[in-house]
Amino acid sequence: MVLQQTINGLITGSTYALFALGFTLVFGVLRILNLAHGAVFMAGAFVGLYAVTWAGLPLPLAFGVAVLVGGLIGVVVDWVAFRPLRRQNAAEFIAIVSSLGVAQMLMSVAQGVSNTLILRYPFGTFPVVFFEVFGLRISLLQITIVALVALLVTSLLAFLYATPFGRQIRAVAVSARTASLLGVRPDVVYAQTFFLSGALAAATGVIIGIAFNSVHFLMGEPFLLKAFVVVVLGGLGSVSGAVVAALLLGLVQSLTVAYLSSALSDAIIYSLLFAALLVRPGGLFGTSSAEMRVVRQ
Amino acid sequence: MSGMLAGYAGLLALVLVNAVLAYSQYLVLRAGVFSLATAGIASLGAYAAAILAVRWQVPGALALIAAGGVGLIAGVVLSLPLARLRGVFQAIATLAFVQIVLSLALYAEPLTGGAMGFNAIPRLVDLPGVAATFAIVLFVVIAVSRSRIGRAFDTIRQDETVAVSLGIAVVEWHRLAFALSGLIAGLGGGLMACRNYSLVPEDFGFPLLMAVLTQVVLGGRIAVAGPLVGAAVLTLLPEVARPLADYRMAVNGALLVLVAVCWPHGIVDTVAFHLRDRALRVREAVRP
Repeated sequence: MVLQQTINGLITGSTYALFALGFTLVFGVLRILNLAHGAVFMAGAFVGLYAVTWAGLPLPLAFGVAVLVGGLIGVVVDWVAFRPLRRQNAAEFIAIVSSLGVAQMLMSVAQGVSNTLILRYPFGTFPVVFFEVFGLRISLLQITIVALVALLVTSLLAFLYATPFGRQIRAVAVSARTASLLGVRPDVVYAQTFFLSGALAAATGVIIGIAFNSVHFLMGEPFLLKAFVVVVLGGLGSVSGAVVAALLLGLVQSLTVAYLSSALSDAIIYSLLFAALLVRPGGLFGTSSAEMRVVRQ
Repeated sequence: MSGMLAGYAGLLALVLVNAVLAYSQYLVLRAGVFSLATAGIASLGAYAAAILAVRWQVPGALALIAAGGVGLIAGVVLSLPLARLRGVFQAIATLAFVQIVLSLALYAEPLTGGAMGFNAIPRLVDLPGVAATFAIVLFVVIAVSRSRIGRAFDTIRQDETVAVSLGIAVVEWHRLAFALSGLIAGLGGGLMACRNYSLVPEDFGFPLLMAVLTQVVLGGRIAVAGPLVGAAVLTLLPEVARPLADYRMAVNGALLVLVAVCWPHGIVDTVAFHLRDRALRVREAVRP
């Protein structure tokens, strides 16, 4: 039973990782909280769903379309909410406000399109197959999710750390000024970052939409709040920290839901975030330089 | 005629309640604190007032005072860990606080009614009571902003390094901002409880947090009149623009983006800045 819950928790955690990676990537490169990330996730779920039900595409193709459209939405969010502010050199507070505004606009569109209903995938979109391994019940869907997440995370890491594009992104993350002196165009890098972030969010949206077989316009908000926990626990802007923290979060959540109560589970998770900010403000794997950015000395 | 007046009285009271919540958010922002805790603290104040009013038949004024007290305590307790954190992390931590309060309100069903809500609260505060509470809050805010406290807040908000070099203890002042904001948020929550007949945990979630933030950003974060103007505009807008009622969320969102991009200082502060700028230029021109 405990083992079953552990596996469920790790699978949930892997979806959190995928979602939080896009969020932490934007934070790491631009030092802004993109509160529209949850709305992009929701939009991705909608695109995936309509690609299956309305356009009749097969699921893998629908997934690809959703990822592509999600990436483009991410770029548009940057254009609408953040680019004008970068020019004015505005405070970080205003960026949060304008991203909230974009999130509301996206959610309003989704609400209008779906008539505030909870949408579902047609039956049999994903084959329902269960395997029994050592007395554990694991579905084909769960295996696919884990494999897909692992694939996407490794390709993101490979992109960031083994390609010239990734090197440019990391250079801008350290200092946009220095990078632009060295011939990197920060605006292109920002667009790339937002595309990656949006694509990851949309991928998570489709996965979650299928896993829970429910897509609705408010689905982004709880995920965004979970992403905060992941980003803080893993350390700001840290990719590997986010993955570990997300798995941990999934584990804690599934165990508390199973053995305590679901309402209390949220309280425990957010208290964890609170405690982390007090005890290890730089994240579980943070360094003292990361801590300096979080806490006044 | 009187029916029409009564309708407007309700609307006016709504504007004032929203303005009280907006002032709670305004105070922290003015001090450069990035707290989004107003919604969570308002929820604590609201439940405190509701429980006192229904279980112990406490009169409205006392319930309001208790709500303010609960808010003050919550603000102080919250400030102990959070005043040390920097900008964005204060925002994240207070968001977590709002979620904790929300899920505890859902969990503590015997006390709060859980998801079914806390119902049958008598309407204890009418327009005069709301106006009186609002006047007290406004007085406190004006007093704060004209005193040394306001000047310290302004310095910290504009440049923390300068503030520290002037000998301003940033963490202490941030604690004060948290406490005052908590007091006002508690009062605002108490007002909601005494007027809404019923409370549901979701009333105090993300949407309220965003509504309060929008009011302050739209109105202005420096001039005292800002939050009142923001609350009035955003509360009256859906009434004036009835055809747009279905797109309320989209209109709100578009408004937020437009204000953030074009008028980042909000209505009142932008206008005040232009007036001052013109006055200065006139003076320059008059001078020989």
